[in-house]
Amino acid sequence: MGLGLTLLPLAAFDPATLPGQLVYGILIGSIYALVALGYTMVYGILKLINFAHGEVFMLGAYVALFISWALGYTPEEMQRAPMPSSLMVLGLMLVGSMVVCGLVGVLIEFMAYRPMRNQPRISALITAIGVSLLLQYGGALFLPVSPPPVIREEANPVQGSLRVWIQKPPEPLLGQYTEAEREFEQAKDAHKNEQYKIRTNGTTEEKLAALSDKLAAARTRYSDLERQIQPKSIRLILPHGLLVMAGTSLVLMLFLRWLVMKTKIGRGMRAVSQDFDSAALMGVNVNTVVFTTFLIGSALAGAGAMMYALFQGLTISTFFGVAPGLKGFVAAVVGGIGNIPGAVLGGLIMGVAEALVIWSGLDMFKDAFGFVILIIVLLILPKGLLGSNKVEKV
Amino acid sequence: MSENATPVLRLKEATIKFGGLIAVNCVSFDLMKGDLFGLIGPNGAGKTTCFNLVTGLYPPTSGSIEFMGRDISGMASAKIAKLGICRTFQNIRLFKALSAVENVMVAAYLRHRTGLGSGLGLLPSAIRETKELRRQALELLDVVGLSDVAEERSGDLAYGRQRRLEIARAMATQPELLLLDEPAAGMNPNEKVDLQQTVRRIRDDFDKTVLLIEHDMRFVMGLCERIVVLDHGEEIAQGPPDAIRNDPKVIEAYLGAAV
Amino acid sequence: MRFWLVRLASVAVVLVGCFLLQQWAAASLTPYLQSLVFLAGGYVALAVSLNLINGITGQFSIGHAAFYMIGAYTTAFLTATFFKAQPLDSTAWVVLMVVAGSVVAGIAGLVVGLPSLRLRGDYLAIVTLGFGEIIRIVVQNVKALGGSFGIDCRVEPAPPSIMLMWLLAILTIAICRNLLKSAHGLPFLAVREDEIASSAMGVQVTKVKVTAFVVGSMLAGAAGAIYAPFQVFITPLNFDMYQSFIVLTMVVMGGTGSVTGSAIAGLLLYLLPEYLRLMKQPGTSKAISIGGPAVAAGLVGVIVLVWLLRVVQAKVVGSKWQRWAGNLGALAATALLVYLGSLALHGVPFLRSRNYTMAELRMAIFALVLIALMLLRPAGIMGHHEFSWDGIGKRLRRRTSGAKA
Repeated sequence: MGLGLTLLPLAAFDPATLPGQLVYGILIGSIYALVALGYTMVYGILKLINFAHGEVFMLGAYVALFISWALGYTPEEMQRAPMPSSLMVLGLMLVGSMVVCGLVGVLIEFMAYRPMRNQPRISALITAIGVSLLLQYGGALFLPVSPPPVIREEANPVQGSLRVWIQKPPEPLLGQYTEAEREFEQAKDAHKNEQYKIRTNGTTEEKLAALSDKLAAARTRYSDLERQIQPKSIRLILPHGLLVMAGTSLVLMLFLRWLVMKTKIGRGMRAVSQDFDSAALMGVNVNTVVFTTFLIGSALAGAGAMMYALFQGLTISTFFGVAPGLKGFVAAVVGGIGNIPGAVLGGLIMGVAEALVIWSGLDMFKDAFGFVILIIVLLILPKGLLGSNKVEKV
Repeated sequence: MSENATPVLRLKEATIKFGGLIAVNCVSFDLMKGDLFGLIGPNGAGKTTCFNLVTGLYPPTSGSIEFMGRDISGMASAKIAKLGICRTFQNIRLFKALSAVENVMVAAYLRHRTGLGSGLGLLPSAIRETKELRRQALELLDVVGLSDVAEERSGDLAYGRQRRLEIARAMATQPELLLLDEPAAGMNPNEKVDLQQTVRRIRDDFDKTVLLIEHDMRFVMGLCERIVVLDHGEEIAQGPPDAIRNDPKVIEAYLGAAV
Repeated sequence: MRFWLVRLASVAVVLVGCFLLQQWAAASLTPYLQSLVFLAGGYVALAVSLNLINGITGQFSIGHAAFYMIGAYTTAFLTATFFKAQPLDSTAWVVLMVVAGSVVAGIAGLVVGLPSLRLRGDYLAIVTLGFGEIIRIVVQNVKALGGSFGIDCRVEPAPPSIMLMWLLAILTIAICRNLLKSAHGLPFLAVREDEIASSAMGVQVTKVKVTAFVVGSMLAGAAGAIYAPFQVFITPLNFDMYQSFIVLTMVVMGGTGSVTGSAIAGLLLYLLPEYLRLMKQPGTSKAISIGGPAVAAGLVGVIVLVWLLRVVQAKVVGSKWQRWAGNLGALAATALLVYLGSLALHGVPFLRSRNYTMAELRMAIFALVLIALMLLRPAGIMGHHEFSWDGIGKRLRRRTSGAKA
């Protein structure tokens, strides 16, 4: 699950794992925030729930997968010999996902939503449902199921995790543990570097075997000490990948804020979301605004999907976007649909809520809780937490 | 006009605030039975908001609204309609996909007596009542001169006809008090004269009390027997047409201060 | 007096008709075909009952399968627990279950409807969808209801399910048509058209909406109650959100607001795919399958066709014949494109190696039908019209007299 061996709650409501879960929640919430932004922007402008947004997310994951394959990180290659990754690989996957998703989003808007602009809202919603189903089931017809669609671990350049002690184990256990950990990391790196040499025939079976054995020994000692310190300490394990994920999301969100607040097109977006017709009358090119909104919203979803799939090693299928899409939508509503900071806040809340659901042992409801939260919010706070801008005049 | 009779409608310092905006500020006036009362004022004066207060769309922030001596402030729209107040809308809110006669029947249905069950089973009592409501509706369409388009889709009708249809529809609830919101908007002079006659007939033959909002001064002056003038949510004058016509405050509100 | 005679006669005709249908189906059809006839009735009932909520009253309920599920599971649970120990025979038991199932489903409709009805349209849609999912997940995790494994709800001897389901379908149609024919249907239509004007005319909007929800959900629950014993073993998978979407497509395709439209669309949208699924390759007993390149070209082709038809709709404003010529031209152009496209795509190895059966293509085709419907004819087949004997009479008279109506 990308959390490392110790963060899956061994028992429900285990206080030792709570801090870790909460941090995980915030980090994963950044992805939901990215998805939520897409929903909220589109709803703000077109008053349409873009049901297909989850599927655009799904496509982003596939694009990242295909790029990773194109760059050589296929299962066959990785069986033969692993290859190191780099920020370049990460960058390519990120940009690729964002570009493709942005284009797909724009295409969907142009082909399926634009004709619905003057139709009653239920028609547009049903069209959106149709597009969503088409992408899910049509995609299932053509997208590969084997080799298993998972982005290889090797493609991730930021492996490893950050450990934060909340309650240190007693000495000398701590010292032993730290040392065992260091040795394990060294053995791992040495082994991996040797494996990289397979491609250039710069190593031999014996050398690999020797390092393999060293690694196995170090691993045994390490896991043994793991078991010992487990009940005697509390720590946070934050995979570097998740940290990068959250950081990248933050950067993207700041970019969006700049765009919406400080540029002409952003002003247009704000105007259209307040009053579609008046903005059009005032000379705002509505089609450009809609185009940009879908482009950016979908690109953000693509970025989110790529990171979500890569840094958690999840298996991708055409239904990959259903749960995150739902959570993103709920996040947008919770924050106040049409409200951009609200979407970010909502995303974080959904992430933390999910973490708590997992922590409480009810992880079978991991995906359904979104609906529950949605219903509660809609009934108690119909305008969401930060409000939205709706007025009807008689 | 006996001072002791209960007014059909009494606004007592009715006020409504939307956030910081005071749309209607301490407005008071009485309507007695059989009045043909005009509510006028420049745009944005709060006239439609007064209607919305009376018909229960919003509750007043303070003050009260009494109908036939009964406090209806904040009551639900449907209940107020049942008690006997009905209105037309400034922006025409017909049931567009329904035919003209069906629009009126919706309103006539308010006074229905059979239960939903007899409708679901299409029992003779329901069939009979449906025929009766239809007959009532057709009669009202005749009063406003729309018999020839009874089966037409109301959304397809010409604008002036739609306005008349709204009046027929409001009449179908058998109200005591009829509120007409800019009934003459968009009509040509001939149609306006016809409308004046229709409204007078509604008051005379159907025994209704009428309160109307209008911008066309000639229409109002030629029809209404008493007028109240609002400006910026406040009442600035009240009285018969002649008094209003010459009231300096009214002139100022419409035309700006005299130089 | 005459009224009651006619009424009783028509009820008798319906009863006898359904009875005969049951007998014929049980005697001459294979079990698979029997289930086809059965489910066709079920979908008609579901589509028409959903139409009451969505089409007639204008609400956005897109989780209708939830009420179907509630009716089915109520029945399944009661049957599994009590059937053996009680004296009623199968048919009577199922009828009792119909009552029980529809009551519980009706309560659910109340629970969903009451708080949600002050939500704006598209939010109401999402809430109804969410409600359905929550119900499904709860059932999946409750041991007493069989969890994800399911419940055995066998009723012995087998009840006349086909007759019962079609009786329900016809009852549903009758209820909706009666409603629309009497003045009692008017408040529902008014609420659909304009809530504010409705309440100004004295219509109790919330009560109308809740009534629609409750009646619609009770009918769906009744359908579920008949479904469970027929299916013998039900699992949550029979009732997922895609079921709701299928029923919704039927309502939309039939023309929201048209009772007969929903019924016809229900039949078509259920039976056509099943028929396609059964089509065999000529001379073999294998199901028809279509090659990858053709499927890919076909999917793109449908999208292109929809767009071409839209262009024809918008630009060709001449007579009916001109429009039909335009449409046929669009169809021909697309067919050509699809043919050429699939030839070209033969060069793509991974497409060439795949073959798809109708069963696999079903949902994708559904999705395309839905999109095409919304883009080309959002009013559905029947639009806002109803099939009526008078309507046919009027049209015939118009033609024969030659006068323009």
